[in-house]
Amino acid sequence: MVNFGGDEVAALVVDIGTSSVRAGYAGDDTPKAIVPSSYGYMPVKDQDVVMGESNEPIAPKAKIYIGSSGPSIWRPGMEVANPLTDGTINDFHPITPLIRHALEDVLRCTPSEHPILVTEPTWNTPANRERMAEIMFEEFHAPAFYIANTGVLNAFAAGKGSALVIDVGQSMASVTPVVDGFVLRKAPKGLSYSQLPTLIHAHARHILTSHTSYRPAVDLIPRQLIANKAPVEPNALPRFTVREDRLPGTTNSWRMWAERREVDEWIQSVAGVLEQGWNDQAAASRPLKQYEFPTGFNTAFGHERFQVGEQFFWHSPQLAASNPNLPKTIPSLITESLRACDPELRQVLMGNVVLSGGMSLFAGFADRLNSELARSFQHVKIHAPGNTVERRYGGWLGGSILASLGTFHQLWISKEEWQEHGRPIVAQRCK
Amino acid sequence: MAATAADIRSALSLKEIHSAPQPKKSSSFTTKKPEGISRELYSLIGPSAPTLAAQLAKPRLKQRPNLGTAGKARWEYRSFKNPGRTDGLELRHWVKASNDANAEYPFAKYNVRPASYAYSEEEYTKFLEDSEWTKAETDHLFALVEEYDTRWYVVYDRYDFPGSERSIEDLKDRYYSVSRKLIRNQPWDGDENAKTQLLASFQFDKERELTRKKYLRSLDNRTPEQIAEEEALYVEIRRLEQNERKFKKERDELLRTLAGIESGLPDIVEDEMPVAFATDTKKKKKGGIMDLDSPLTPSSISLGPPIVKRAQTAKSAAYDAQHCIVRTDLLQTTTNTKSAHTPAYLRSFKLPIPKQAIAPKVTQALAELGILHTRLVMPTRDNCAQLEQLVEATTTLIDTKRMVDKVDYDIKVLKTRLGLREGQGDEEEEAGNHGLGPSEAGMEVDGENEPEEVVGDDRRSQSVVSTRSRKHSRRSMSISSIDTAANVSTRAVMKRQKRS
Repeated sequence: MVNFGGDEVAALVVDIGTSSVRAGYAGDDTPKAIVPSSYGYMPVKDQDVVMGESNEPIAPKAKIYIGSSGPSIWRPGMEVANPLTDGTINDFHPITPLIRHALEDVLRCTPSEHPILVTEPTWNTPANRERMAEIMFEEFHAPAFYIANTGVLNAFAAGKGSALVIDVGQSMASVTPVVDGFVLRKAPKGLSYSQLPTLIHAHARHILTSHTSYRPAVDLIPRQLIANKAPVEPNALPRFTVREDRLPGTTNSWRMWAERREVDEWIQSVAGVLEQGWNDQAAASRPLKQYEFPTGFNTAFGHERFQVGEQFFWHSPQLAASNPNLPKTIPSLITESLRACDPELRQVLMGNVVLSGGMSLFAGFADRLNSELARSFQHVKIHAPGNTVERRYGGWLGGSILASLGTFHQLWISKEEWQEHGRPIVAQRCK
Repeated sequence: MAATAADIRSALSLKEIHSAPQPKKSSSFTTKKPEGISRELYSLIGPSAPTLAAQLAKPRLKQRPNLGTAGKARWEYRSFKNPGRTDGLELRHWVKASNDANAEYPFAKYNVRPASYAYSEEEYTKFLEDSEWTKAETDHLFALVEEYDTRWYVVYDRYDFPGSERSIEDLKDRYYSVSRKLIRNQPWDGDENAKTQLLASFQFDKERELTRKKYLRSLDNRTPEQIAEEEALYVEIRRLEQNERKFKKERDELLRTLAGIESGLPDIVEDEMPVAFATDTKKKKKGGIMDLDSPLTPSSISLGPPIVKRAQTAKSAAYDAQHCIVRTDLLQTTTNTKSAHTPAYLRSFKLPIPKQAIAPKVTQALAELGILHTRLVMPTRDNCAQLEQLVEATTTLIDTKRMVDKVDYDIKVLKTRLGLREGQGDEEEEAGNHGLGPSEAGMEVDGENEPEEVVGDDRRSQSVVSTRSRKHSRRSMSISSIDTAANVSTRAVMKRQKRS
């Protein structure tokens, strides 16, 4: 029981990300419940008119579709939304149903019996974390609650107290210096994270939907809208019929969500980055990769697929000039983050670089990062778990480790404390 | 009707000895049927398979290990209180039922706070006044330090006192100086030793820290070229040091071999050069390396001095003569390469050996005189010299003899040919031979090179006469090869003559 300092009190760990909500028991090595964060809902039109002034996107009683049979199933008039914007929770309405679904429908446990640990990104606002505490105590009646930083948790998941955590998720890329289990926040806001993955996504979409001399523009029609299709030769125009009956009922947000998923799937299976920096010859010498879209259109992608990943590390001057708000590249994020650190810490941090997040599984990402860092730093050691679950859910895993430690249990915010001190207790306890 | 064995026996009139007692014997065996074998099987295989029977015995398994007799451990899902908490939160976990329910939480002992020093208002005004720090800010600092357990980077990161910009060194300096003052001035009920130790642990030198940080920063700000240059210089220094050491070692060894350990040569001061070199690497880079490189080439080392022949005093000469000591001059061509080094050896090992080609003849010649040249009973210096002379003389003698033999033979052959030529018109067979041309004739002469065959020459020419047509081709072949050999030998003779 006291082995390895662990003392399991059946705590639950909830990690809310842009792509999915992860939930599971502390002490496990993988989250048992992984629920997509995007949800479908039916807008209540009558109420919309009545409420008028309310800028809340959905009424509380609107029908919500969550989980694997949520947005991915086509429903007439269903809108799709994501409660997170830039990695932080922007809309708390669907959060309770999402967590409830994960804990009660998937884990099948009673949340009021378990202490709950929730994660937050470094740039989370105090209001947000207090709201989260409120949800946990008031709606789930949790006996104890704690909110921990994903950067710290990623470092813990790698078994490190001090680390430079590079977390590349679905919407945000961040570089967080962690020292002795605390995040250093001295760096001015906005320096150490950027919407780089969003740019990658937009770039990939642009590549796919633009017509080139060697292939026609790709039609990103999701499979839910295709009645039938016939196999065609590579690069030939697809032959398929659209489900005309569904088209009128398809909302714009659902269409966007579905197309986004098509692009993401293409990125995951085809796109990559060259390990040693951009080189036309190296890109051309790589083997082509075949990919078939839901329309039946299929083609082999060559150097295009490497242009996508290049955006992580380098932006062309033309692009930077035309787009002043371009998100920072990974190397510049690292440089900015280190510049704000004490010179003594730089060596320590560079020797403990932890790579995490689903987007960091991008083909060739870790190798490229290594070669980029080796160019400007002398002793670099990157910890990049080969296990995809550990890499994608590093934050959850760290939370699982933390919440099962015997020494941690004095840090929980208990319900009693919440009732006594109210919201300020969150900032006092969770630093 | 089948014939039984008994019938055949009777037919062959053989004695029926074994037929009767056999069934009895087998029945006596069946009573001893081993365990674990069925009766039917035993009657089939009989008593002739004892090993099989042993294996058929029921196998006995090893006894199960006894893994504690305490029985199954009972576990309970208990709620517990953490003494580190101020509230009454009760969490639940699984524990062994045998554990004491009222025992203290095992992780409570890890909840330790570092010792920190508090001060009163009075103490602050008395000891801790500082022009740069207000009491409020000092309080803020102390609160933060206690909160983050003196994790200075975190303290510095979270330090946000309005209207003050402090470096991490400022914070550390203030905290440690205040703590030191408090330790000194607060009543201390312990021994002085512990107090000084505690004071030492709160020591902080701000200036030194700042210098160190500055140095670190400058290290960080090096350009890749600078780093590469530094690296190259470092490698170069290492290489030079290593060469120096190797050179010194080799030199020592050499001196020991050549002049004995007390050669009286001063040691090369090893540390001198690297130290001088390290002081200002960059300035010395160009010149220094060249200077240091030069001693590495062995040719420039003046090995002369230690081998200078020590002047022989009259006294030592007399001593040598008395004790039959002969001092030989060392070879002055000695270089310090490995192959040139000659270790000490016994004189008898270096007895002269005749040339390989004529060794057997030398041995034979000496044996005729009753001398065994390969071994000397008393290999003194004089004896060795005499033997050397003797062997040399013998060799010369044999060489001379061979040459004389050869010349004699040549003369003989030429004379024979002259005679043949004079009388060629008379013999018709010889006319055909003549038609072959001068080359053939020359070859024939060379063919009879060996002295032993001189006698057989006539006979052979006769055989040529009789079987000329048949043997021609074969002979011409053999002749050509002999011809070259002869040329070589004559050339050698000429050389020898030139030399003498």
